Amino acid sequence: MPKNDPLIHVCDDWISIQRPDRDSILAAQAAFAASGQWTEIIPGMDSIAVQFDPWLLSPDDAAGLASRQLNDARKVNRASVPMVTIPLCYEGDLAPDLAFVAEKIGIEADRFPEWHASREQQVAMLGFMPGFAYLDSPDPCPAIGRLADPRQLVHAGSIGIIGRQSCIYSFDSPGGWPIIGRTPLRLFDPRQEQPALLAAGQTVRFEPISRQTFDSWPRADDK
Amino acid sequence: MSIKILKAGLQMTLQGAPFQGHRHLGMPAAGAADSLSLALANCLVGKSHGAIALEITLTDAIFEIADSCLIAVVGSAKSVRINGEEMLQHQTRPVVAGDSLHIGPSHAGCRTYLAISTEIRADELLGGRSTCLAAGLGGFHGRALKDNDIVPLSQETTTGIIDRTTPRALRPHFSDDHVLRVLPGPEANGPIESPIGDLCQKSYLVGARASRMGMMLEGAPLGTEKVSDMPSAAVFPGTIQLPPSGHPYLLGPDAQTTGGYPRIAQVIRADRHLIGQLRSGSRVQFVQTTTERATEIYREKLSLLTPWLGQIDLW
Repeated sequence: MPKNDPLIHVCDDWISIQRPDRDSILAAQAAFAASGQWTEIIPGMDSIAVQFDPWLLSPDDAAGLASRQLNDARKVNRASVPMVTIPLCYEGDLAPDLAFVAEKIGIEADRFPEWHASREQQVAMLGFMPGFAYLDSPDPCPAIGRLADPRQLVHAGSIGIIGRQSCIYSFDSPGGWPIIGRTPLRLFDPRQEQPALLAAGQTVRFEPISRQTFDSWPRADDK
Repeated sequence: MSIKILKAGLQMTLQGAPFQGHRHLGMPAAGAADSLSLALANCLVGKSHGAIALEITLTDAIFEIADSCLIAVVGSAKSVRINGEEMLQHQTRPVVAGDSLHIGPSHAGCRTYLAISTEIRADELLGGRSTCLAAGLGGFHGRALKDNDIVPLSQETTTGIIDRTTPRALRPHFSDDHVLRVLPGPEANGPIESPIGDLCQKSYLVGARASRMGMMLEGAPLGTEKVSDMPSAAVFPGTIQLPPSGHPYLLGPDAQTTGGYPRIAQVIRADRHLIGQLRSGSRVQFVQTTTERATEIYREKLSLLTPWLGQIDLW
Protein backbone atom coordinates (compact mmCIF):
# COMPACT_ATOMS: atom_id res chain seq x y z
CA MET A 1 0.00 0.00 0.00
CA PRO A 2 1.71 3.21 -1.14
CA LYS A 3 -0.28 5.23 1.42
CA ASN A 4 1.57 3.47 4.22
CA ASP A 5 4.94 3.75 2.56
CA PRO A 6 6.91 6.36 4.53
CA LEU A 7 8.93 7.20 1.42
CA ILE A 8 5.86 8.27 -0.57
CA HIS A 9 3.92 11.38 0.41
CA VAL A 10 0.60 12.02 -1.31
CA CYS A 11 -1.12 15.41 -1.61
CA ASP A 12 -4.30 16.01 -3.63
CA ASP A 13 -2.52 16.71 -6.93
CA TRP A 14 1.10 15.80 -6.39
CA ILE A 15 3.22 13.06 -4.88
CA SER A 16 6.72 13.31 -3.44
CA ILE A 17 8.90 10.22 -3.32
CA GLN A 18 12.19 9.87 -1.41
CA ARG A 19 14.92 8.07 -3.35
CA PRO A 20 18.23 6.76 -2.01
CA ASP A 21 20.54 8.17 -4.70
CA ARG A 22 20.81 10.16 -7.92
CA ASP A 23 20.71 7.09 -10.19
CA SER A 24 17.41 5.97 -8.71
CA ILE A 25 16.00 9.49 -9.13
CA LEU A 26 17.01 9.51 -12.79
CA ALA A 27 15.60 6.03 -13.30
CA ALA A 28 12.30 7.12 -11.74
CA GLN A 29 12.25 10.27 -13.89
CA ALA A 30 12.66 8.16 -17.04
CA ALA A 31 9.93 5.71 -15.96
CA PHE A 32 7.47 8.49 -15.09
CA ALA A 33 8.17 10.30 -18.37
CA ALA A 34 7.66 7.10 -20.37
CA SER A 35 4.19 6.61 -18.86
CA GLY A 36 2.96 9.98 -20.16
CA GLN A 37 0.56 10.17 -17.21
CA TRP A 38 2.03 13.06 -15.21
CA THR A 39 1.64 16.80 -15.83
CA GLU A 40 4.98 17.50 -14.08
CA ILE A 41 7.96 15.32 -13.13
CA ILE A 42 10.43 17.18 -10.91
CA PRO A 43 13.70 15.71 -9.64
CA GLY A 44 14.91 17.00 -6.27
CA MET A 45 18.20 16.41 -4.44
CA ASP A 46 17.07 13.23 -2.69
CA SER A 47 13.51 12.93 -3.97
CA ILE A 48 11.31 13.23 -7.03
CA ALA A 49 7.79 14.63 -7.35
CA VAL A 50 5.03 14.10 -9.90
CA GLN A 51 1.90 16.19 -10.40
CA PHE A 52 -1.41 14.97 -11.81
CA ASP A 53 -4.84 16.30 -12.76
CA PRO A 54 -7.16 15.54 -9.81
CA TRP A 55 -10.19 15.64 -12.10
CA LEU A 56 -8.85 12.59 -13.94
CA LEU A 57 -6.95 10.75 -11.23
CA SER A 58 -7.65 10.27 -7.52
CA PRO A 59 -4.68 10.60 -5.15
CA ASP A 60 -4.96 6.88 -4.25
CA ASP A 61 -4.91 5.80 -7.88
CA ALA A 62 -2.06 8.19 -8.63
CA ALA A 63 -0.01 6.79 -5.72
CA GLY A 64 -0.64 3.23 -6.91
CA LEU A 65 0.37 4.17 -10.42
CA ALA A 66 3.57 5.91 -9.25
CA SER A 67 4.43 2.93 -7.07
CA ARG A 68 4.07 0.45 -9.95
CA GLN A 69 6.09 2.66 -12.29
CA LEU A 70 8.87 2.89 -9.67
CA ASN A 71 9.01 -0.90 -9.47
CA ASP A 72 9.42 -1.04 -13.23
CA ALA A 73 12.07 1.71 -13.29
CA ARG A 74 15.27 0.57 -14.93
CA LYS A 75 18.72 1.99 -14.46
CA VAL A 76 19.35 4.86 -16.83
CA ASN A 77 22.20 4.33 -19.24
CA ARG A 78 24.63 7.13 -18.46
CA ALA A 79 25.97 7.10 -22.01
CA SER A 80 22.57 8.33 -23.18
CA VAL A 81 23.08 11.62 -21.34
CA PRO A 82 25.80 13.51 -23.24
CA MET A 83 28.53 15.35 -21.36
CA VAL A 84 28.51 19.15 -21.63
CA THR A 85 31.58 21.36 -21.75
CA ILE A 86 31.01 24.82 -20.34
CA PRO A 87 33.52 27.58 -21.16
CA LEU A 88 34.18 29.56 -18.01
CA CYS A 89 36.07 32.80 -17.49
CA TYR A 90 37.63 33.03 -14.02
CA GLU A 91 38.87 36.62 -14.40
CA GLY A 92 38.32 39.98 -12.73
CA ASP A 93 34.81 41.21 -12.12
CA LEU A 94 33.39 38.00 -13.58
CA ALA A 95 34.81 36.16 -10.55
CA PRO A 96 34.29 38.54 -7.60
CA ASP A 97 34.64 35.85 -4.90
CA LEU A 98 37.42 33.73 -6.43
CA ALA A 99 40.10 34.91 -3.98
CA PHE A 100 37.82 34.29 -1.00
CA VAL A 101 36.90 30.80 -2.23
CA ALA A 102 40.52 29.88 -3.05
CA GLU A 103 41.56 30.88 0.47
CA LYS A 104 38.80 28.73 2.00
CA ILE A 105 39.97 25.78 -0.07
CA GLY A 106 43.60 26.51 0.72
CA ILE A 107 45.04 27.02 -2.75
CA GLU A 108 46.61 29.95 -4.58
CA ALA A 109 44.08 32.08 -6.43
CA ASP A 110 45.90 31.73 -9.74
CA ARG A 111 45.76 27.95 -9.46
CA PHE A 112 42.02 27.97 -8.84
CA PRO A 113 40.84 27.67 -12.49
CA GLU A 114 42.97 24.56 -12.99
CA TRP A 115 41.70 23.07 -9.71
CA HIS A 116 38.07 23.82 -10.55
CA ALA A 117 38.18 22.71 -14.18
CA SER A 118 39.67 19.34 -13.23
CA ARG A 119 36.77 18.45 -10.93
CA GLU A 120 34.08 16.05 -11.98
CA GLN A 121 30.68 17.72 -11.80
CA GLN A 122 27.19 16.43 -12.34
CA VAL A 123 23.87 18.26 -12.69
CA ALA A 124 21.80 17.26 -9.66
CA MET A 125 18.67 19.15 -10.64
CA LEU A 126 17.31 22.37 -12.13
CA GLY A 127 15.32 24.75 -9.97
CA PHE A 128 15.08 28.26 -8.50
CA MET A 129 14.53 29.80 -11.95
CA PRO A 130 14.31 28.55 -15.54
CA GLY A 131 17.52 26.76 -16.50
CA PHE A 132 19.25 27.35 -13.13
CA ALA A 133 21.34 24.26 -12.42
CA TYR A 134 22.53 22.74 -9.14
CA LEU A 135 25.75 20.75 -9.60
CA ASP A 136 27.27 18.08 -7.38
CA SER A 137 30.85 16.93 -7.31
CA PRO A 138 32.03 13.59 -5.91
CA ASP A 139 35.49 15.12 -5.45
CA PRO A 140 36.29 16.42 -1.96
CA CYS A 141 35.99 20.14 -1.20
CA PRO A 142 35.92 21.99 2.12
CA ALA A 143 32.65 23.72 3.02
CA ILE A 144 32.71 27.31 1.77
CA GLY A 145 29.24 28.47 2.72
CA ARG A 146 27.18 31.32 1.35
CA LEU A 147 27.97 35.04 1.40
CA ALA A 148 27.04 36.79 4.62
CA ASP A 149 25.33 39.46 2.53
CA PRO A 150 23.61 38.15 -0.59
CA ARG A 151 24.20 40.22 -3.74
CA GLN A 152 21.32 42.20 -5.17
CA LEU A 153 22.51 41.33 -8.66
CA VAL A 154 24.24 38.18 -9.82
CA HIS A 155 24.68 38.13 -13.61
CA ALA A 156 23.31 35.35 -15.79
CA GLY A 157 25.98 32.73 -16.47
CA SER A 158 27.69 33.18 -13.09
CA ILE A 159 28.95 30.04 -11.36
CA GLY A 160 28.60 29.88 -7.58
CA ILE A 161 30.23 27.36 -5.27
CA ILE A 162 29.53 26.49 -1.63
CA GLY A 163 31.60 23.31 -1.39
CA ARG A 164 30.87 20.12 -3.27
CA GLN A 165 27.77 21.84 -4.52
CA SER A 166 27.87 24.51 -7.23
CA CYS A 167 25.24 26.33 -9.19
CA ILE A 168 24.89 28.20 -12.48
CA TYR A 169 22.70 31.29 -12.58
CA SER A 170 20.56 31.30 -15.72
CA PHE A 171 19.19 34.85 -15.40
CA ASP A 172 20.24 38.02 -13.62
CA SER A 173 18.93 37.71 -10.09
CA PRO A 174 19.79 38.30 -6.44
CA GLY A 175 21.92 35.54 -4.99
CA GLY A 176 24.08 34.44 -2.07
CA TRP A 177 26.50 31.90 -3.55
CA PRO A 178 30.16 32.97 -3.82
CA ILE A 179 30.85 33.59 -7.54
CA ILE A 180 34.04 32.17 -9.10
CA GLY A 181 33.45 32.85 -12.78
CA ARG A 182 31.00 33.36 -15.61
CA THR A 183 30.14 31.45 -18.77
CA PRO A 184 29.11 33.22 -21.97
CA LEU A 185 26.67 30.36 -22.73
CA ARG A 186 22.96 30.92 -22.44
CA LEU A 187 21.46 28.53 -19.91
CA PHE A 188 17.84 28.93 -20.96
CA ASP A 189 16.55 29.73 -24.42
CA PRO A 190 12.84 29.06 -24.97
CA ARG A 191 13.30 29.16 -28.76
CA GLN A 192 15.32 25.94 -28.66
CA GLU A 193 13.68 22.53 -28.77
CA GLN A 194 15.51 21.82 -25.49
CA PRO A 195 15.09 25.20 -23.76
CA ALA A 196 17.46 24.38 -20.89
CA LEU A 197 21.16 23.84 -21.71
CA LEU A 198 21.49 21.35 -18.85
CA ALA A 199 19.44 18.44 -17.52
CA ALA A 200 19.51 16.42 -14.30
CA GLY A 201 22.10 13.65 -14.53
CA GLN A 202 24.38 15.33 -17.04
CA THR A 203 28.13 15.41 -16.50
CA VAL A 204 29.63 18.88 -16.81
CA ARG A 205 33.22 19.90 -17.51
CA PHE A 206 34.38 23.47 -17.18
CA GLU A 207 36.92 24.79 -19.66
CA PRO A 208 38.83 27.93 -18.63
CA ILE A 209 38.65 30.74 -21.20
CA SER A 210 40.28 34.16 -21.25
CA ARG A 211 38.45 37.43 -20.76
CA GLN A 212 39.04 38.18 -24.42
CA THR A 213 37.43 34.89 -25.48
CA PHE A 214 34.53 35.58 -23.11
CA ASP A 215 33.97 39.06 -24.53
CA SER A 216 34.10 37.91 -28.14
CA TRP A 217 31.89 34.86 -27.60
CA PRO A 218 29.08 34.94 -30.16
CA ARG A 219 25.83 35.64 -28.38
CA ALA A 220 22.32 35.22 -29.61
CA ASP A 221 20.62 38.59 -29.33
CA ASP A 222 18.81 38.80 -26.04
CA LYS A 223 15.32 37.36 -25.97
CA MET B 1 -5.95 47.00 -32.81
CA SER B 2 -4.72 47.78 -29.34
CA ILE B 3 -5.52 48.95 -25.84
CA LYS B 4 -3.47 51.68 -24.18
CA ILE B 5 -2.51 51.58 -20.52
CA LEU B 6 -2.79 55.07 -19.06
CA LYS B 7 -2.22 53.91 -15.50
CA ALA B 8 -0.82 50.46 -14.75
CA GLY B 9 -0.97 50.63 -10.95
CA LEU B 10 0.98 48.41 -8.55
CA GLN B 11 1.47 45.46 -10.89
CA MET B 12 -0.33 44.73 -14.15
CA THR B 13 0.67 41.68 -16.20
CA LEU B 14 -0.74 39.61 -19.03
CA GLN B 15 -1.78 36.27 -17.55
CA GLY B 16 -3.77 33.25 -18.67
CA ALA B 17 -3.22 29.53 -18.20
CA PRO B 18 -0.03 28.55 -16.35
CA PHE B 19 2.95 26.89 -18.02
CA GLN B 20 2.79 23.14 -17.73
CA GLY B 21 5.30 20.35 -18.07
CA HIS B 22 8.43 22.45 -17.60
CA ARG B 23 8.91 22.61 -13.83
CA HIS B 24 11.85 20.18 -14.08
CA LEU B 25 13.60 22.94 -16.06
CA GLY B 26 12.99 25.40 -13.24
CA MET B 27 10.10 27.03 -15.09
CA PRO B 28 7.49 28.39 -12.66
CA ALA B 29 3.76 28.00 -13.29
CA ALA B 30 3.03 31.73 -13.67
CA GLY B 31 -0.49 32.29 -15.06
CA ALA B 32 -3.44 34.05 -13.43
CA ALA B 33 -3.10 34.17 -9.65
CA ASP B 34 -6.89 33.75 -9.33
CA SER B 35 -7.84 31.17 -11.97
CA LEU B 36 -11.56 31.33 -11.15
CA SER B 37 -11.93 35.09 -11.67
CA LEU B 38 -9.95 34.78 -14.92
CA ALA B 39 -12.26 32.00 -16.19
CA LEU B 40 -15.39 33.99 -15.30
CA ALA B 41 -14.09 37.11 -17.08
CA ASN B 42 -13.04 35.19 -20.20
CA CYS B 43 -16.43 33.44 -20.41
CA LEU B 44 -18.21 36.81 -20.59
CA VAL B 45 -16.32 37.72 -23.77
CA GLY B 46 -16.63 34.28 -25.35
CA LYS B 47 -13.11 33.05 -24.68
CA SER B 48 -11.76 29.82 -23.23
CA HIS B 49 -11.05 29.85 -19.50
CA GLY B 50 -7.27 30.09 -19.79
CA ALA B 51 -7.10 32.81 -22.46
CA ILE B 52 -4.77 35.74 -21.78
CA ALA B 53 -6.29 38.68 -19.89
CA LEU B 54 -4.94 41.68 -17.98
CA GLU B 55 -4.30 40.99 -14.31
CA ILE B 56 -4.59 44.13 -12.19
CA THR B 57 -3.23 44.27 -8.65
CA LEU B 58 -4.67 46.20 -5.68
CA THR B 59 -4.51 49.79 -6.94
CA ASP B 60 -6.59 51.41 -9.67
CA ALA B 61 -5.85 51.18 -13.37
CA ILE B 62 -6.88 53.30 -16.36
CA PHE B 63 -7.15 52.21 -20.01
CA GLU B 64 -7.91 53.92 -23.29
CA ILE B 65 -9.84 51.76 -25.71
CA ALA B 66 -8.55 52.13 -29.29
CA ASP B 67 -11.04 49.93 -31.16
CA SER B 68 -14.55 48.56 -30.72
CA CYS B 69 -14.65 45.29 -28.81
CA LEU B 70 -16.33 43.54 -25.91
CA ILE B 71 -14.82 43.62 -22.46
CA ALA B 72 -15.60 42.12 -19.06
CA VAL B 73 -14.22 42.78 -15.61
CA VAL B 74 -14.19 40.28 -12.72
CA GLY B 75 -12.26 40.64 -9.50
CA SER B 76 -11.61 42.59 -6.35
CA ALA B 77 -11.97 46.13 -7.77
CA LYS B 78 -14.49 48.19 -5.84
CA SER B 79 -15.87 49.96 -8.89
CA VAL B 80 -15.45 50.09 -12.64
CA ARG B 81 -16.26 53.15 -14.75
CA ILE B 82 -16.46 53.82 -18.47
CA ASN B 83 -16.23 57.49 -19.36
CA GLY B 84 -17.10 58.23 -15.74
CA GLU B 85 -20.22 56.09 -15.67
CA GLU B 86 -20.48 52.99 -13.57
CA MET B 87 -19.96 49.67 -15.33
CA LEU B 88 -21.04 46.46 -13.62
CA GLN B 89 -18.67 43.54 -13.15
CA HIS B 90 -19.81 40.12 -14.35
CA GLN B 91 -21.44 41.49 -17.51
CA THR B 92 -20.33 41.63 -21.11
CA ARG B 93 -19.83 45.25 -22.09
CA PRO B 94 -19.34 46.63 -25.62
CA VAL B 95 -16.85 49.52 -25.85
CA VAL B 96 -15.83 51.76 -28.74
CA ALA B 97 -12.72 53.67 -29.77
CA GLY B 98 -11.96 56.52 -27.41
CA ASP B 99 -13.72 55.04 -24.39
CA SER B 100 -11.90 55.51 -21.12
CA LEU B 101 -12.00 52.55 -18.72
CA HIS B 102 -11.22 53.08 -15.05
CA ILE B 103 -10.89 50.03 -12.82
CA GLY B 104 -10.95 51.15 -9.20
CA PRO B 105 -8.78 49.94 -6.32
CA SER B 106 -9.59 46.71 -4.48
CA HIS B 107 -11.83 47.14 -1.46
CA ALA B 108 -11.17 43.57 -0.37
CA GLY B 109 -9.12 40.95 -2.13
CA CYS B 110 -6.20 41.77 -4.40
CA ARG B 111 -6.67 41.04 -8.11
CA THR B 112 -9.02 41.94 -10.94
CA TYR B 113 -9.14 40.56 -14.49
CA LEU B 114 -9.96 42.52 -17.62
CA ALA B 115 -10.91 40.19 -20.46
CA ILE B 116 -11.17 41.44 -24.06
CA SER B 117 -13.05 39.74 -26.90
CA THR B 118 -10.21 40.15 -29.40
CA GLU B 119 -7.05 38.15 -28.87
CA ILE B 120 -4.38 39.83 -26.75
CA ARG B 121 -1.10 39.38 -28.59
CA ALA B 122 1.25 38.10 -25.92
CA ASP B 123 4.72 36.63 -26.47
CA GLU B 124 4.71 32.87 -26.76
CA LEU B 125 6.95 30.77 -24.55
CA LEU B 126 7.00 26.99 -24.11
CA GLY B 127 3.46 26.60 -25.39
CA GLY B 128 2.04 29.35 -23.15
CA ARG B 129 1.59 33.12 -23.28
CA SER B 130 1.46 34.11 -19.63
CA THR B 131 4.12 36.45 -18.23
CA CYS B 132 7.06 34.72 -16.55
CA LEU B 133 8.53 37.63 -14.57
CA ALA B 134 11.49 35.61 -13.18
CA ALA B 135 12.83 34.95 -16.66
CA GLY B 136 11.55 38.16 -18.24
CA LEU B 137 9.77 36.11 -20.91
CA GLY B 138 6.22 35.65 -22.23
CA GLY B 139 3.33 38.10 -21.86
CA PHE B 140 4.22 41.70 -22.74
CA HIS B 141 7.99 41.53 -23.39
CA GLY B 142 8.31 39.45 -20.23
CA ARG B 143 7.53 42.31 -17.90
CA ALA B 144 4.80 44.09 -15.99
CA LEU B 145 2.96 46.75 -17.97
CA LYS B 146 3.85 50.39 -17.43
CA ASP B 147 1.99 53.63 -17.96
CA ASN B 148 1.64 54.42 -21.69
CA ASP B 149 2.33 50.87 -22.85
CA ILE B 150 0.19 49.83 -25.81
CA VAL B 151 -0.97 46.21 -25.72
CA PRO B 152 -1.52 44.89 -29.25
CA LEU B 153 -4.75 43.03 -30.04
CA SER B 154 -5.34 40.80 -33.04
CA GLN B 155 -7.25 42.18 -36.02
CA GLU B 156 -9.94 39.52 -35.93
CA THR B 157 -13.19 40.60 -34.38
CA THR B 158 -15.24 38.13 -32.43
CA THR B 159 -17.88 36.23 -34.26
CA GLY B 160 -21.39 37.09 -33.18
CA ILE B 161 -22.63 39.23 -30.37
CA ILE B 162 -22.20 37.99 -26.85
CA ASP B 163 -24.18 39.42 -23.99
CA ARG B 164 -23.67 37.43 -20.83
CA THR B 165 -24.12 37.90 -17.12
CA THR B 166 -22.44 35.60 -14.60
CA PRO B 167 -25.09 33.73 -12.60
CA ARG B 168 -25.25 35.20 -9.09
CA ALA B 169 -24.49 31.89 -7.40
CA LEU B 170 -21.15 31.65 -9.19
CA ARG B 171 -19.86 35.12 -8.35
CA PRO B 172 -16.91 34.96 -5.93
CA HIS B 173 -17.23 36.86 -2.69
CA PHE B 174 -14.21 39.05 -2.02
CA SER B 175 -13.07 39.34 1.55
CA ASP B 176 -9.93 39.80 3.59
CA ASP B 177 -10.80 36.86 5.82
CA HIS B 178 -9.92 33.57 4.21
CA VAL B 179 -10.24 29.95 5.17
CA LEU B 180 -7.85 27.77 3.19
CA ARG B 181 -8.04 24.01 3.41
CA VAL B 182 -4.70 22.23 3.69
CA LEU B 183 -3.16 18.78 3.61
CA PRO B 184 -0.02 17.75 5.46
CA GLY B 185 3.11 18.29 3.36
CA PRO B 186 5.94 15.74 3.04
CA GLU B 187 7.74 17.24 6.06
CA ALA B 188 4.59 17.65 8.18
CA ASN B 189 5.93 15.23 10.77
CA GLY B 190 9.39 16.61 11.02
CA PRO B 191 11.57 18.36 11.88
CA ILE B 192 9.09 19.65 14.48
CA GLU B 193 6.22 17.65 15.81
CA SER B 194 2.87 18.22 14.15
CA PRO B 195 3.45 21.72 12.72
CA ILE B 196 0.25 21.35 10.70
CA GLY B 197 -1.74 20.98 13.94
CA ASP B 198 -0.23 24.23 15.20
CA LEU B 199 -0.69 25.85 11.78
CA CYS B 200 -4.43 25.14 11.88
CA GLN B 201 -4.87 26.28 15.48
CA LYS B 202 -3.66 29.80 14.85
CA SER B 203 -4.76 32.43 12.42
CA TYR B 204 -2.27 34.37 10.38
CA LEU B 205 -1.93 37.76 8.76
CA VAL B 206 -0.40 38.03 5.30
CA GLY B 207 2.90 39.91 5.58
CA ALA B 208 3.87 43.19 4.00
CA ARG B 209 5.84 41.89 1.01
CA ALA B 210 3.16 39.63 -0.47
CA SER B 211 3.69 39.03 -4.18
CA ARG B 212 2.91 36.58 -6.95
CA MET B 213 5.90 34.57 -5.72
CA GLY B 214 4.62 34.09 -2.21
CA MET B 215 3.94 35.65 1.15
CA MET B 216 5.11 35.40 4.71
CA LEU B 217 2.38 34.59 7.23
CA GLU B 218 2.65 36.58 10.41
CA GLY B 219 1.48 35.27 13.73
CA ALA B 220 2.89 33.34 16.65
CA PRO B 221 5.89 31.52 15.10
CA LEU B 222 5.78 27.75 14.97
CA GLY B 223 8.41 25.99 17.08
CA THR B 224 11.68 26.09 15.20
CA GLU B 225 14.29 24.67 17.57
CA LYS B 226 15.03 21.87 15.14
CA VAL B 227 14.20 23.57 11.85
CA SER B 228 17.00 23.48 9.33
CA ASP B 229 17.44 23.39 5.60
CA MET B 230 16.72 20.12 3.89
CA PRO B 231 17.84 18.81 0.50
CA SER B 232 16.01 20.86 -2.12
CA ALA B 233 12.79 19.25 -3.32
CA ALA B 234 9.80 20.14 -5.48
CA VAL B 235 7.39 22.82 -4.30
CA PHE B 236 4.17 24.04 -5.90
CA PRO B 237 1.86 27.04 -5.73
CA GLY B 238 0.03 26.59 -2.43
CA THR B 239 2.91 24.83 -0.67
CA ILE B 240 3.49 26.17 2.84
CA GLN B 241 7.16 26.14 3.81
CA LEU B 242 8.61 26.57 7.28
CA PRO B 243 11.77 28.71 7.18
CA PRO B 244 14.04 29.01 10.26
CA SER B 245 12.19 32.18 11.35
CA GLY B 246 9.19 29.99 12.24
CA HIS B 247 6.90 32.18 10.12
CA PRO B 248 5.22 29.98 7.52
CA TYR B 249 5.72 31.02 3.89
CA LEU B 250 2.89 30.42 1.42
CA LEU B 251 3.96 30.02 -2.21
CA GLY B 252 2.11 31.74 -5.06
CA PRO B 253 1.91 31.07 -8.81
CA ASP B 254 5.36 32.55 -9.58
CA ALA B 255 7.09 30.53 -6.85
CA GLN B 256 10.31 28.77 -7.73
CA THR B 257 10.00 25.08 -8.57
CA THR B 258 12.16 23.67 -5.78
CA GLY B 259 12.92 24.75 -2.23
CA GLY B 260 15.05 23.80 0.74
CA TYR B 261 12.67 24.55 3.61
CA PRO B 262 10.40 21.89 5.14
CA ARG B 263 7.11 21.62 3.23
CA ILE B 264 4.74 21.43 6.17
CA ALA B 265 1.42 21.81 4.34
CA GLN B 266 -0.22 22.17 0.94
CA VAL B 267 -3.30 24.27 0.14
CA ILE B 268 -5.73 21.99 -1.71
CA ARG B 269 -6.20 22.49 -5.46
CA ALA B 270 -9.83 23.61 -5.03
CA ASP B 271 -8.81 26.53 -2.78
CA ARG B 272 -5.63 27.62 -4.59
CA HIS B 273 -7.34 30.30 -6.68
CA LEU B 274 -8.07 32.14 -3.41
CA ILE B 275 -4.33 32.67 -2.87
CA GLY B 276 -4.49 35.18 -5.72
CA GLN B 277 -6.83 37.33 -3.65
CA LEU B 278 -4.65 37.43 -0.53
CA ARG B 279 -3.15 40.83 0.17
CA SER B 280 -0.90 42.21 2.82
CA GLY B 281 -3.01 42.26 5.99
CA SER B 282 -5.47 39.56 4.93
CA ARG B 283 -6.38 37.14 7.71
CA VAL B 284 -5.91 33.46 6.92
CA GLN B 285 -7.19 30.48 8.85
CA PHE B 286 -6.01 27.04 7.76
CA VAL B 287 -8.22 23.99 8.13
CA GLN B 288 -6.85 20.49 7.71
CA THR B 289 -8.64 18.08 5.41
CA THR B 290 -7.87 14.73 3.79
CA THR B 291 -6.70 13.89 0.26
CA GLU B 292 -9.99 12.05 -0.41
CA ARG B 293 -12.07 15.03 0.71
CA ALA B 294 -9.80 17.47 -1.20
CA THR B 295 -10.45 15.54 -4.40
CA GLU B 296 -14.22 15.54 -3.76
CA ILE B 297 -14.21 19.29 -3.10
CA TYR B 298 -12.27 19.98 -6.31
CA ARG B 299 -14.58 17.82 -8.42
CA GLU B 300 -17.70 19.31 -6.81
CA LYS B 301 -16.41 22.81 -7.49
CA LEU B 302 -15.70 22.06 -11.15
CA SER B 303 -19.10 20.37 -11.52
CA LEU B 304 -20.79 23.52 -10.23
CA LEU B 305 -18.86 25.67 -12.69
CA THR B 306 -18.96 23.58 -15.87
CA PRO B 307 -22.62 24.25 -16.80
CA TRP B 308 -21.64 27.93 -17.08
CA LEU B 309 -17.93 27.86 -17.94
CA GLY B 310 -17.67 24.59 -19.86
CA GLN B 311 -14.87 22.08 -19.22
CA ILE B 312 -12.31 23.96 -17.13
CA ASP B 313 -9.58 23.36 -14.64
CA LEU B 314 -8.45 25.53 -11.77
CA TRP B 315 -4.79 25.77 -10.76
